[in-house]
Amino acid sequence: MSPSAPSLHDKLNQLRQRFIEQLPARLQHITEQWQQSRASTEAEARLGPELHRFFHSLKGTGRSLGFERIALLADQGETALNEPTPSAHVIERVFVQLAEEQQRLQSLPGQQRALAALNSVEFAPTPIKTRSKRQRLIYLCDDEPDQVGQLLHHLRCFGHEVVHFEDTDAFFNAVISRRPDAIIMDVQFPQGNTAGTETLTSLNKLTGERLPAIVLSAHGDFHSRLSAVRAGCNGYFTKPVKPLDLMLAVDELTTPLDDEPLRVLVVDDEPEVAAYHALLLEQAGMVVQQVNHPSDALTALERFSPDLLLVDVYMPVCSGEELANIIRQQPEHVGLPIIYLSSETDSQKQLSAMTAGVEAFITKPVVPEELVSAVQLRAERLRLLRSLMTRDSMTGLYNHSTTTDLISKALAQAHRDNTQHAMAMIDIDHFKAVNDTHGHLAGDQVIITLSRLLKTRLRMSDIIGRYGGEEFVVLLKGVSDERASELIDGLRHDFAQVDFHAGGAHFRCTFSAGISSFPIQPSTESLRLSADQALYRAKHQGRNQVVTSTEQDDDGFPTARL
Amino acid sequence: MRILVVDDDPLAGEMIGALLEFQGYDVLLANDAMEAISQLDAHDTIALIVSDMHMPLVSGIELLNMLREQGVTLPFILLTGDTPDETLRQTPGLSACLQKDAALDTSLGHAVAQAVGE
Repeated sequence: MSPSAPSLHDKLNQLRQRFIEQLPARLQHITEQWQQSRASTEAEARLGPELHRFFHSLKGTGRSLGFERIALLADQGETALNEPTPSAHVIERVFVQLAEEQQRLQSLPGQQRALAALNSVEFAPTPIKTRSKRQRLIYLCDDEPDQVGQLLHHLRCFGHEVVHFEDTDAFFNAVISRRPDAIIMDVQFPQGNTAGTETLTSLNKLTGERLPAIVLSAHGDFHSRLSAVRAGCNGYFTKPVKPLDLMLAVDELTTPLDDEPLRVLVVDDEPEVAAYHALLLEQAGMVVQQVNHPSDALTALERFSPDLLLVDVYMPVCSGEELANIIRQQPEHVGLPIIYLSSETDSQKQLSAMTAGVEAFITKPVVPEELVSAVQLRAERLRLLRSLMTRDSMTGLYNHSTTTDLISKALAQAHRDNTQHAMAMIDIDHFKAVNDTHGHLAGDQVIITLSRLLKTRLRMSDIIGRYGGEEFVVLLKGVSDERASELIDGLRHDFAQVDFHAGGAHFRCTFSAGISSFPIQPSTESLRLSADQALYRAKHQGRNQVVTSTEQDDDGFPTARL
Repeated sequence: MRILVVDDDPLAGEMIGALLEFQGYDVLLANDAMEAISQLDAHDTIALIVSDMHMPLVSGIELLNMLREQGVTLPFILLTGDTPDETLRQTPGLSACLQKDAALDTSLGHAVAQAVGE
């Protein structure tokens, strides 16, 4: 951040302190005005606007400074004043509550807590930026410390930032000032059997959002469950909770839907027409690139990698049909949906265009909604197909062939840019024994857990693939083998702490890893081989460790794998 | 760039000023519409006005109308404690209408940048 950041921060904190300090005098003054206004209708008419403005200003300033409770009370006051006959009872109660809130904020712990909650948030974007895209901020609110320790450990193990609250008030204030990605909430608290879910309900009402929440309860009774449903909770766990199950539920809850916009390449020799179609699609939230010469289409395909191609049929040099044929002759574009645009209404001619493997025909002038829906439908279908083809169905990681392709592409790029990458081959130790002893479901659980761990802890730009069975491969971009080894060893350490449950038994698992680096190993194949040899050494030396490949591996030392 | 902030609550004015200064703008404060008018007369470098809606005597929207009648066409951003309703938003000559809340730092920054055509 720029050096002026702390000064804004300090300035706002000063303003917050002054706001709290000034509040008693303002309250005192306005209470007097209120008393006077009740003396006569004349006084009421005269002082009404001031009372109104007091609440209104308190609401706006309070909310801007992050004092949400003050704003809420001020809003209640304002609403009461707007009634044809304002209820003295309500307004006086608001005064009392404002004074109480002021005292809470004034008291040292209250103020510190409020400021601490505020300081971690707005106006200081740094803490949010340091979290990687897959890391989540999780609030855990539970007053029983013995349960919490293990949960905290597991959640942090997966790279999540977890904040623990012992009472609902502190939790409430924290949510107001900084929204978490997920909430784990105990139902029972000393102040009430459903105090936890009630807090969630009032937060949902106040914020107008549905906060993603999972509820923990000592009871599975109907009343507790009902209170959770009413609070809009996404999950319900009865204690004792298996940390891993909870972790997976949190993961599911916070994984964003695939909202990457659809990409469309428009090929039309008339720039204005292309721009018009591009605009229609962009308004529907798609990313569009235009090409005005068919000869540029291939390079654009390569660089832009669209989900769909929108082509004008009549173009000089090369017709849309010819272009479609050229594109279809390249294996990597066989599945790319192509939509033709033309003023051709003769269905016979349209049919002949279809033989080139075109998905649809839209006649100009286009009906905007028709164009958008035709494009959306086909592009989304291709996306789904692509993901089925490239990803491993159990873990959602890239499958073997896609991983290899992606790594080869990354290396080709790295050759040009002179960057270094590291590869890690990871293999779960004694995996067969897990399957044999605890069953395949337990084995699947281990694989899913490791894949989630890799996904949450590594960067989005890293390539993570499941190579088959219990073997994973990772390409860590722009990283030395030393750094890669540290990173993977950190994961190894945390993975070893995860408790797995199968039936009544619980067990732990470890993995071994081998690291190799580019450009010492210049190709995908040699990287893989070298990482594999290092992995073999790690297994041989007793497993549960990370070994970095050395030059020796390639110099004729015995490398045979059994 | 210089911005005039009009708010009858001095604390709120200072806060808005602090947010804008942090974003690199030069800020002048006025406590009411009258003061705003005299500030505008005194400083012809003011490029934009950010005003609170609810102020005694002359409200933010009345201030806007006054200025427009006088031929002052500076971009004008209105702040309010309530969720702004559609009619208020659609007021002719208004660059933006924002709610005072904890997200004000970002929403105001965007609105200012947009109003001056960045």
